[in-house]
Amino acid sequence: MNTANVLILIFSMAILLILPIQTVAEKDIACYHCHTNVVNEFRNNVHYQMGFTCANCHGGDIDDNNSIISANVMTGDFIGRPTRNNITDVCSKCHSRETSDYKQSIHWEQIQKGHSEAATCTDCHGIHEIRRIKDPKSLTNHQNSPETCAKCHSNKEMMSAWYYGIKTDRLDTYKESFHWKALRNGYNVVATCADCHNNHITKPHTDPTSSTYPDNLPKTCGKDNCHPGAKFDTKIAEGLIHDKESLHTGKLMFNKTGMNPRLASYYLGPFDLAYWIAWFFKILTAGVIGAFVCMVILDFASRFKINRRW
Amino acid sequence: MKRAKTKLEKDISLEKEQSEITFKRFTFNQLVQHWVMIATFMTLVVTGMAVKFPDSWWSPVIINLVGGFEMRTQIHHTAGIVMVILGIYHIIYHVFVDKEPLLERRIWPTLKDTQDFWKTILFYFGKEEQPKYGRYSWKEKFDYWGAFWGMVMLCVTGLIMMFPFVAMTYIPYAYVHLATIIHTDEALLATLFIFIVHWWNVHYSPEVFPMSKAWLTGNLTEGQMMHEHPLEYEEAMRQAHMKDYK
Repeated sequence: MNTANVLILIFSMAILLILPIQTVAEKDIACYHCHTNVVNEFRNNVHYQMGFTCANCHGGDIDDNNSIISANVMTGDFIGRPTRNNITDVCSKCHSRETSDYKQSIHWEQIQKGHSEAATCTDCHGIHEIRRIKDPKSLTNHQNSPETCAKCHSNKEMMSAWYYGIKTDRLDTYKESFHWKALRNGYNVVATCADCHNNHITKPHTDPTSSTYPDNLPKTCGKDNCHPGAKFDTKIAEGLIHDKESLHTGKLMFNKTGMNPRLASYYLGPFDLAYWIAWFFKILTAGVIGAFVCMVILDFASRFKINRRW
Repeated sequence: MKRAKTKLEKDISLEKEQSEITFKRFTFNQLVQHWVMIATFMTLVVTGMAVKFPDSWWSPVIINLVGGFEMRTQIHHTAGIVMVILGIYHIIYHVFVDKEPLLERRIWPTLKDTQDFWKTILFYFGKEEQPKYGRYSWKEKFDYWGAFWGMVMLCVTGLIMMFPFVAMTYIPYAYVHLATIIHTDEALLATLFIFIVHWWNVHYSPEVFPMSKAWLTGNLTEGQMMHEHPLEYEEAMRQAHMKDYK
């Protein structure tokens, strides 16, 4: 074996060794070598599976991406840390309808007012790991949607800030509902947050164009897949959908002027019905069962003591 | 302390040796009503409590066993409708078909029941003889009227929950929410009452353990009759004798 042959052998072996790495690197995303975690997340992204790369959202020069260390990508219109405006701009390039819906929402309104922690696309859909809605791991999956909203809406610090004043018990009170009880047992044809409050055009219930504005509730509940045939004058607004016993104080209210009309409908005369009926049943159940359990115990004991009935 | 046997106990032990007479406690009609009641009640409890206590470990077990949440709802609704039909049948039968005058039925509560109630308590403490009951003791009347009230409540609130958007054309949403409170709390009361009190009286009590066979045969032996319903027994015997002397 001469030297040339040995060199050729070594060279070909080297190529054989390098080739797989090379092919992996080619299929791979250049940013991987530094932003490993992010790219791993991105691999679960529906956009990655459809052929999009980092540069589609972050900008930068795509052509220089093939080298292993691709610092050149961070040039031109590259955005490292997208601002709230950047995010909606990027998403609107393709999802224009969703973005224009979103821009009517209270979330966008708050961002415009300078409260940048208000939700934008990525807060609900995920940042790098954007999955299809049907994917059970997706943040926006029907099963996960209550938890996704609760990330912010159960956060006391965020919600009790003076400019929001939104209650943080929205998930807890939703969990009182039949919708949640059915949902958690795998029955998907029930409403979660987005079904009533709308996913992109989320507006406060005080806004007359909101899906949760009292006058619009029959239409919202009466969607074709939900409660079709709900009549126009259905009295849904007279009562709190997000209800919980803790909302009710049981105080006697002789003057209900100025009270929230939705809460006022729980009152019959001065009585807060939900509160007092729950108490009535607590007392009734404890009384009746307690009395009869005593009776059973006495009955049983009397058989030993009196020894008459055997 | 040994005690001489009372006359009643002598009678009972005498009867045990020779008794062949049975007393009709329930007609076949009533037995079937009770059987349907048992079947629907148990189905409703199992499928309903899984939603009343959604965070319990057994809730998903039950829901998966009956075939998922939607199936659970279907089963609960079906059983509920059957129970409502049973209730309507019961009322129609006993008001319009049964020949006995409505106001003379022995199921109505009377003053004697309150007296019997106190006597029973005194009896438990050994201060009084066991009260003598007619056809229905105060406990049985309480069972019956408890179930009666419960079925009315559960039927009304259940229908509201089954058709919330029909209900909401007449009543505010707040009252639909109240219906869920009333329905589940009333159901819990009924379940506890049946499982503890009713089953004590007819299953667990040493007097009848393992069970009183009246719910299967509809009959009571003469011994049971003398012991549990002495007044009715005396009345029946008096009438039988009168018939003999005619």
